[in-house]
Amino acid sequence: MRIKRLIIGSGKAVAVAALLLWSLLPIAFIVMSSFKPGREIFAVPPHYIFTPTLDHFTTLWTRWGVFFDGLVNSTIITAGATALAVIASTAAGYAYSRNSSRFLDSSVLFLIVVRLIPPIVVTLPLFPIVNALQVNDTHVVLMVLYATFFVSLGTVLMRTFIDQIPRELDEAAQIDGAGRWTILRRVIVPLAAPGILAVAVFVVVFSWNEFLFAFIFTATKAKTAPLVISEMIGSIDGVDWGVLFAASTLQLAPVLLFVIFMNRYLVAGMTAGATKG
Amino acid sequence: MKDRSAFTFTRRGFLGTTVGGAAALAAGPTWAAGKTLNVLSHKVHQTVLGADADDLMAAWKSANDADISFTTFDSNPLQDRLFREASLTETDYGVGYIIDNRPTSEIASLFEPLNDLTVSDPIEDFDDIAHGLVQGMTVDGNLIGIPVRHATQGLFYNEALLEEAGISAPPTTLEELVEQCNKLTFTSKSGTPVTGMILASDLALFPVMFARAFGGDFITKDFQLVPDPAAMEKGLDVLRAMFESGALPRSYATTKNDDQVTWLQQGRAAFTVLPFARYAQLNNPEQSNFPGKIKAIAFPGSATLAADKPMASIVEAWAMVIPKNAKDKALAWAYIKEVSSKRVTLGMALNGNGPVRVSSYSDPALISKNPLAEVEAMVLANARGAFPPFPEAARAQATMLEEVQLAVIGRKSVKDAVASIIERVTPMMPA
Repeated sequence: MRIKRLIIGSGKAVAVAALLLWSLLPIAFIVMSSFKPGREIFAVPPHYIFTPTLDHFTTLWTRWGVFFDGLVNSTIITAGATALAVIASTAAGYAYSRNSSRFLDSSVLFLIVVRLIPPIVVTLPLFPIVNALQVNDTHVVLMVLYATFFVSLGTVLMRTFIDQIPRELDEAAQIDGAGRWTILRRVIVPLAAPGILAVAVFVVVFSWNEFLFAFIFTATKAKTAPLVISEMIGSIDGVDWGVLFAASTLQLAPVLLFVIFMNRYLVAGMTAGATKG
Repeated sequence: MKDRSAFTFTRRGFLGTTVGGAAALAAGPTWAAGKTLNVLSHKVHQTVLGADADDLMAAWKSANDADISFTTFDSNPLQDRLFREASLTETDYGVGYIIDNRPTSEIASLFEPLNDLTVSDPIEDFDDIAHGLVQGMTVDGNLIGIPVRHATQGLFYNEALLEEAGISAPPTTLEELVEQCNKLTFTSKSGTPVTGMILASDLALFPVMFARAFGGDFITKDFQLVPDPAAMEKGLDVLRAMFESGALPRSYATTKNDDQVTWLQQGRAAFTVLPFARYAQLNNPEQSNFPGKIKAIAFPGSATLAADKPMASIVEAWAMVIPKNAKDKALAWAYIKEVSSKRVTLGMALNGNGPVRVSSYSDPALISKNPLAEVEAMVLANARGAFPPFPEAARAQATMLEEVQLAVIGRKSVKDAVASIIERVTPMMPA
């Protein structure tokens, strides 16, 4: 019995180690390579011990200044898209949770279908419209697009969270004279904060890394960091791998830290409603 | 008496300053250029024009009271964006950069024909621009782009590895190249396993080069598909034999263009085929283990190649186009004229651009800065594109590569692969 448990335990440990290796190795390679001297990045056999250098980051700063503008744009767009998506999802989730009608119930299916549409299907027809509205290459257009694509999932998530808040609290607030907005702001939002954070995590990760919409709808003023990285990869006069890895590390770091910090909310978002009877 | 501060700031003053400041900002700085030319290009096109004190376009900007705003993308996304912008009712972009294997008749119709402009408002010494490159930008009789950059393929070799293997000079024929590649498939003194040659398997230019080494081709300028199947078979036979002997890496089927650079820099391969412009990167001491030791020559043809039929290397060129829906075409043409001038062409060449003017190659400054200038000029004289543009070109290339890979790794006989290329690509050819 004890041997069987030991074997199962070891098997689990090996599986977890393999999974960790599988997911962390590419990240470790990128981060380590950004500090390696250029000649050692692809050395065979690989050099695990090396004298770290900040040269690639310095070169990134001097030659690819546009990357840092991209990071600023990414931050602005991510913040705006997250705020928009969270506000809209919370309000919609509340409406879905506290009201019931045939129209509302069938529109939930519509929300899910919207989420399943591949972005490329709507992207190209949108290009002339965005141009005609003269909002091409603005932060706003990406904020709205990112938020739009996440409002459906966010609404479903928020409805599940708000469903778990007893309706009696709404009623008590109503007796005290609170209107719908007051109930939403004073009762629902504080109690659904973990759900709001979970939605925010999803939107932040998506908006920070998104490429397709940014490629189609930006040029210079709202160009995001992933677009600049793609230019580095496709450089026709040769890829400077050290600089590319430095940029990837800087692109990766904020979202990685954010996800680690918000990890428990992300799990909460994924499992919301899982135990609901 | 109460002391008073010498500086007071009233509410009225604060409001006035705020409103005034906002108005000034809204009006824009008075020193800003009157016009802005928006250019859609790859970053390298912007970089070679220099910046700040070394800005090659400084005089033009001042003379035209104009600023240049570059929007840059990677090659394929750039072409995609350019064609989409040119398809709108109106575009903010005055100039776009196009690759010479893209303009089909349909795409060419999106851009302004430039024939009349080259007569009424001529480019300085237009005949000095390589004729082959100009022809590549002429679609249905219309000149739609002015060549600005080329990347011509050469054979790069690691001189240190050749010396280590007792080879005193690089090959002069394809047969010698194969022999040297086999000899250079060894473990070097440093303990690094070396492969004779590394080639990306996802680019059509390599099998085309090997076919041309025997006088063959994939698709000619006049759209003949595999005009000499025997020559194509010989070329693929060579690649297959190299794969079988280990002179091409076992990972051939997954090898990419960037691997060619890193393998050569690391001393893991002795030969590769890359644009001459990669010389600086391959010898960059910060990236390469063999700075100064990686050299280039013309890709050699087979000893059996007729003397009057020189080996035609592959060249890819970029050109500047004006979308038909551009707002200020006069400013766009003025930009193109300036970038195409002898002075700017040479300046860009010194910054690493493949110059499109024949005269640039004889300039002493370029010769001293680029040791490959002479050989590149010689190769460019006979070079042509891998295949001409046509609507199904991308699919034809993918089909050809699929068959080539099967032949090289031994999953299909070379004869069958060539027959399949002809059979499968024929329906894709323009009528």
